[in-house]
Amino acid sequence: MPTLKDPSSVKLPRVTKGKRPYFFADESIDQVMTFFLELMTEVMVLRDRQDTIERMLDEKGTINREDIKTYIPDGDVEAERTAEHAAFVGRVLRIHTPGGREDDED
Amino acid sequence: MTQTALANDATETLPDIDSFLKPSHDEYSRQRAVAVLHSHAVLNLRFDVRKTYERNVKPQFEAANGRAPKDGHEIAKAIKDDHFFKFYSAIRYNAQEMGPMTRQASVERALPQMIEVARQAARLRPAGGSLQLDPDLEIPRYITQVDTHLAPGNYHSEFAEDDVSQGVLLGRGLSSNSGKSRIHRTRNFSGVGDSIAYWLKQTYPDFRPRRVLDMATQGGANLLGYPKAFSGCEAYGIDVAAPGLRYGHAKAEFEGVPVHFSQQNAEKTNFEDGYFDLIVSSFFLHEVPLEATKRILAEAYRLLAPGGVLAFMELPPHKSCDPFLNFTFDWDTRYNNEPFYAKYRSQDPTELVVGAGFARDAAFEVTVPDVTSFDMDKYPAFLRGEVEAPPHGRGGWYVFGARKA
Repeated sequence: MPTLKDPSSVKLPRVTKGKRPYFFADESIDQVMTFFLELMTEVMVLRDRQDTIERMLDEKGTINREDIKTYIPDGDVEAERTAEHAAFVGRVLRIHTPGGREDDED
Repeated sequence: MTQTALANDATETLPDIDSFLKPSHDEYSRQRAVAVLHSHAVLNLRFDVRKTYERNVKPQFEAANGRAPKDGHEIAKAIKDDHFFKFYSAIRYNAQEMGPMTRQASVERALPQMIEVARQAARLRPAGGSLQLDPDLEIPRYITQVDTHLAPGNYHSEFAEDDVSQGVLLGRGLSSNSGKSRIHRTRNFSGVGDSIAYWLKQTYPDFRPRRVLDMATQGGANLLGYPKAFSGCEAYGIDVAAPGLRYGHAKAEFEGVPVHFSQQNAEKTNFEDGYFDLIVSSFFLHEVPLEATKRILAEAYRLLAPGGVLAFMELPPHKSCDPFLNFTFDWDTRYNNEPFYAKYRSQDPTELVVGAGFARDAAFEVTVPDVTSFDMDKYPAFLRGEVEAPPHGRGGWYVFGARKA
């Protein structure tokens, strides 16, 4: 058990205990996949930022940085963004082999 | 002095512990992005993995061995070098690993206030529940050795006095992936308790549990459905990890549901024989070694009163899935830090409950519909056996158990 700290200075561990699996023969590819997926995530974050700005301009005609920083979308916006992210992920992770969704029963 | 304190307590209202979690715009967005990536891997790319298996891996295996792979283990070995499988696995692994990372910073910022709320809940107990911790309880090695589901710190780690952080991180919390915006309509991890409670009521109309025990309850997310479904039923939740219990207690007191949380190992509890009429758990046994599973089921048998029901939601066993599905389920044992997952799934749940003392003809294995997504007009037809529940994890939940004679 780690030493107990003051709650305001707790830094939770970012590294998982246990052996990390490597899927590719060259571990560098696994590392590049991590970079790539992190970057994909950041692109989705940027898309949300842009959407937030557009919505604020639509609704109020003005924006300010503090409002953006604390903006949490309501249910409808959240549903739209989830669908938007899902479509983005589907486009970016375009695999070479055609998928088998339609004719697979499960 | 005492009077002043009491007067204060009486007017003090307990805030929602989750209300202090305030992710920034980008943190919240990142949480959703990673959840979408993960869902894409487990729910969409999996079909492409099946396709690549059918088209490439299986024919090669058949050519070399003169037969198809006989189980998930053989498929796992044969598919390891497949080009597409590697990408599927890397995407799934990374998305899993990124999950906690997207939430940790907001948990850290809220921690001082969340700990205060949990302390306040333990002191005020407005709903009449309780929290009993045992700092001397030995945390089993199977919890301390690896971080389950790639969540650093696992369930049990504590970083501050009266810590709740791992409970918040791995519990319900503020989620961008719930309610209306749920990424997949039929995949709702918080629907388990309600779904089993509903099924029990329909299946055993005479059943009126006085007390329910949820083993490995974490924050009690899947326990609250039972006292709601069975009026007057007292709810108890145990877990070896304190952070989830503190968090769950604060949450239940805020929601006005009296729950008695205590820090105990389900292999050996301090409750009297026959204290419970209903013992449940969800997502539990596949995370412990088989020997512990056997002790847990024996303990559950001891704790049940005659007529009591055991109902554990778990992964479907090997015997009820085809080899490919077994391979996809067991991916977790190799790559998601769940070392006991495949071994657990290799067991026959009915044999496990019979081994614990239950009568064979009182045992059941069933996939029940998730009541938060199922078309409930069809429920009577499901009960008559005319309609099947959706598969486990995609609108249905696999449950096994028995009724004690």
